[in-house]
Amino acid sequence: MALWLILLPLGAALAVWLLPLDRLAATGLALAAVLGEIGLWITTLVRFDLDSGKLQFEEQASWFKDLGVTFHLGLWGYSLWLIGMTVLVLGAAIAFGARAGRERPRAYFGLMLFLLAAVVAVFEAQDLLLFYVAWEAMLIPLYFLVGVWGGAGRVAATYKFVVYTIAGSLLMLTSIIVYGLQQGTFDMTLTTGSGSMWLFLGFAAAFAIKAPLFPFHGWLPQAYRESPPEVAAVLSGVVSKTAAYGFLRLGVIEFGGPSLRIRDTVLALAAVGLVYGSIVAFRQPDLRGIIAYSSLAQMSLITMGIFSINLAGFDGAILQMVNHGLISGVMFLLAGLVERRAGTSDVARLGGLARGRPILATALLAAGMIALAVPGSATFGGEFLILTGVFASGWAWTVVGAAAIVLAAMYALRLISAVLHDRKGEAVTDSARDLRLPELAFVLPLLGCLIALSIWPNAVASHSFGKAFERCTPLANVLKLTAEDCP
Amino acid sequence: MVAAAWICLLLPLAGALLITLLGNVLSRKAAGVLATSSVAGAFVAAAVAFVMMLGDGEHHRSHLSTGFTWLSAGSFQADFSILLDPLSMVMMLVITGVGSLIVLYSIGYMHGDNEERRFFGYMALFVFSMLMLVQGGNLLLLLVGWGLVGLSSYLLIGFWHEKPSAVAAAKKAFIINAIGDATFAIAVIVIIQQTHIVGFDALSALNPDNHGVLNLVALGLLGGAVAKSAQLPLHTWLPDAMEGPTPVSALIHAATMVTAGVYLIARCHTVFESAHQVQNIAAGIGALTIVAAGAIALVQTDIKRVIAYSTMSQIGYMFVGVGVGAYASSMFHLMTHAFFKALLFMGAGIVIHALSGEQDIRQMGGLRKLMPRTYVMMLIASLALIGFPLTSGFFSKDAILAGALASGPYGAALWVLGMIGALLTGVYTSRLFLTVFHGAPGDLVLRQLGPDAHGQGATDGGHGHGEGPRTMLIPVAILTVLALGGGFIQVFDWWTGMQTWLESVVPSLHEPTGWQEAISSIGATLLGLVGVTLGWTVYGSRKDTAPKPSRSLEHKLYFDELYDRIAYAPAAFIARFVTRVVEEPLVIGSGDLVGHVTRGAGEKARLLQNGLVRSYALLIALSFAVMGIVFLAVR
Repeated sequence: MALWLILLPLGAALAVWLLPLDRLAATGLALAAVLGEIGLWITTLVRFDLDSGKLQFEEQASWFKDLGVTFHLGLWGYSLWLIGMTVLVLGAAIAFGARAGRERPRAYFGLMLFLLAAVVAVFEAQDLLLFYVAWEAMLIPLYFLVGVWGGAGRVAATYKFVVYTIAGSLLMLTSIIVYGLQQGTFDMTLTTGSGSMWLFLGFAAAFAIKAPLFPFHGWLPQAYRESPPEVAAVLSGVVSKTAAYGFLRLGVIEFGGPSLRIRDTVLALAAVGLVYGSIVAFRQPDLRGIIAYSSLAQMSLITMGIFSINLAGFDGAILQMVNHGLISGVMFLLAGLVERRAGTSDVARLGGLARGRPILATALLAAGMIALAVPGSATFGGEFLILTGVFASGWAWTVVGAAAIVLAAMYALRLISAVLHDRKGEAVTDSARDLRLPELAFVLPLLGCLIALSIWPNAVASHSFGKAFERCTPLANVLKLTAEDCP
Repeated sequence: MVAAAWICLLLPLAGALLITLLGNVLSRKAAGVLATSSVAGAFVAAAVAFVMMLGDGEHHRSHLSTGFTWLSAGSFQADFSILLDPLSMVMMLVITGVGSLIVLYSIGYMHGDNEERRFFGYMALFVFSMLMLVQGGNLLLLLVGWGLVGLSSYLLIGFWHEKPSAVAAAKKAFIINAIGDATFAIAVIVIIQQTHIVGFDALSALNPDNHGVLNLVALGLLGGAVAKSAQLPLHTWLPDAMEGPTPVSALIHAATMVTAGVYLIARCHTVFESAHQVQNIAAGIGALTIVAAGAIALVQTDIKRVIAYSTMSQIGYMFVGVGVGAYASSMFHLMTHAFFKALLFMGAGIVIHALSGEQDIRQMGGLRKLMPRTYVMMLIASLALIGFPLTSGFFSKDAILAGALASGPYGAALWVLGMIGALLTGVYTSRLFLTVFHGAPGDLVLRQLGPDAHGQGATDGGHGHGEGPRTMLIPVAILTVLALGGGFIQVFDWWTGMQTWLESVVPSLHEPTGWQEAISSIGATLLGLVGVTLGWTVYGSRKDTAPKPSRSLEHKLYFDELYDRIAYAPAAFIARFVTRVVEEPLVIGSGDLVGHVTRGAGEKARLLQNGLVRSYALLIALSFAVMGIVFLAVR
């Protein structure tokens, strides 16, 4: 099962690249692959034992035997949810691309499917080297998707993104090699954890850049602005989550001791990023800018949850990763749809789109309200758990987080009003139509999942680490603490 | 009984969903009927539950019904559950009862607006949210309802979203309420941290000796209550919220949502009783709001804003009540206020409607003869507001004042402020009433309603003229009866309906003596009448010689200006500063530098590689090379 989740999109990508398909066939094949992948994920979910808290659907084959490197895949409860989010958001993005009619469809769809396979592999890899390969494999399609299909400033944006990311990756690679050799195995289920701060920092560098965390977000505004909207949706919705996942799975769990020691520093960075991102988002002149910086703020919040290092924080972080993936995906796609209608993302030239376009208005309002975490929404559930978790590390973090709720209301309401309300903007013409059925087909599933999660956030929150060890000794089972960390 | 409560909660939600999902399939009229019947159905369900609860023994009236686990992590678990007890019962009846009357009234009021369906969808959503708030079986669900009413209030204030002032007012309301949500959330998190539970039993599980925690929790809850109930100093959103359609003002910004703070304090009374100073602060805030809002109401010229300030002032009385422990009296006043204030708004709505949207009372006058039915019902609502003997407001306001007097010296000080408030209420109410209904009709009134104006009203759907269709008059008539007679639920200490009903959930702290009741009643009534006389002499007979209003009152005591200076302006400055000085040059700039350098290197690499391989490929190759070297070295 775990293997098929990677092979299906990978195979489809190869098929799209290699077969001489016309646009229609390539599109159809890509969409069919996405639907198949969603079906595969649902089957996995049904067959998954959510309460066990153990690694499931393992597949293992030997790779470099003498180094202890194996091709080892498997699913934890939390990886399952993250993969579900990935499949949905990337599926919606591919559908958006199909709707937008991207040039060179075979190359485009192949790259998107390849990206899907790579991200799923990141979430499934149980071997450090395999994780690294999957991690780097994400970058290849992203490089081309931004660099070829992006906006006017795409080349500069791509360089910046790639250089930043590679810098982090190389540090991570060093850490992986040293850590694997120290442990005598690269298998993440067999490693016993380490107390080395330097190794931890090597990993952290890659994740802090990719998430991104303040102040490593220099690549973010341009990358999110110059990408095609659906790629921005994937970057901020899905790719950033691989970094948060990395912080959790490789940062905190493998390096429990160093994480506890550096916790306050990371929390401080995250708190700054949360407030800073929210404030800068409020000043942005365009829709993409607002969503981009709100993404910075939300990733900081998720990092806060992870580095609260307790189960409330972890559960909240996982829930919020799923939520933010969906919400940021749907926000970028909606921004893209607005851009297609008005020809601009400039806030000052938009406005008044609600009149006569009830479906667009309802969709954007719902998305905006979930984005600002109105109490009762899934995002509120995630935030609440994170703030509860981080309270144990100090009440001040919770206060900062709560203040950010107000700031989020400010930028999200600004975005909603700028598009929908007030007088009609100069870029808005009567020919700008309401959402069409094919567009609803990729907007509604994302929104629908968010609403379902609002009704029952516990689906994700309490089924990520398994009920089994939530009830007994909480952290010792999650963190690989070494003897020196637990005196 | 529990089943009826679930039906009561979910019917309005079903109504909202149906209206939203069916869209154009539903005719505009059908949307109105659907919304009304879903809320009325909820009322019937609530009434059934009420009758069944009457059959329970006095101490077995609390029922908690759990649906599923909504959110859990680590050590705490929040169920999706509803709590049905005498306190939530009172709120359910008020919300669905007054709610269904107002939604019915809206069918006539909103007729001809081209987005009626959206309006009714939002209204039903609001009723659901408000029921969620009062029925929520734990603190987290209470907070969920708390946030959802804020959301529906935002949607309805900004209903006419092409009007920039309405959009700005909606945003302001949401953001100020978000501040309250945040302090509320912090309080809940502290409670979870201390007790590991979120049910209302957590409130009594808090360590009574840990004053720091108790005060923190109480302050957090009070912050939420003050923001939601528009008390000083977080009140500035309520007058602006009058940008919404008038039925919205009647339902949300008079009868139900703004009283949620009172409900919250009554629900969490154990914490406030343990954190005594904070409870005193709540009462003090209420008393100050009574006077400040009453004074500002004296000089406002917009008919709805006058009533909005009056609402703040009346909620101030309720805060005094819950602050001194007179919970039942506060809930009693909450109920009667819902009747007469909704009525006042609906009357104002009929007047505004008849004058084609004019809200400035200086343009009105002499409507008594032209709108006789509206005149009578506004008279009754105004009498109830000033607490004229035997009207509903008389019994409930006096009960709060007597409770304050009974609670000790601090209460006596609040009592004095409450008395001043009664005087102010008399003045501003008579000013409003006389300016609108008495005197000589203004030009606008004659144009719209005068003898030559026949047929003009037909231009906006036939409802711009006269006193409105039957769907508007029937609910108004019912509320008139309630505003007049609703006070007889509790008559001093001879017949204590509300007190007895709530005794098992929120027992009042003090029992006022007979003379305290008497002096409060007589004093408040006399001062109210003095106020009316004052108003009559100033605004009735000698309209032209009315004193010039004080500048600070016209500026609403400069709260908006103050917040602009100390909050908005610095925040905007910081945002600009951060964007220009940190984000653009440093963070993005450093990225540019990195980009340029490597791009230069990349271009050279590209030259080397015949332009086929980009720098990324080079770097990937390099990283694999590093890997290979390490592998080899290890071997």
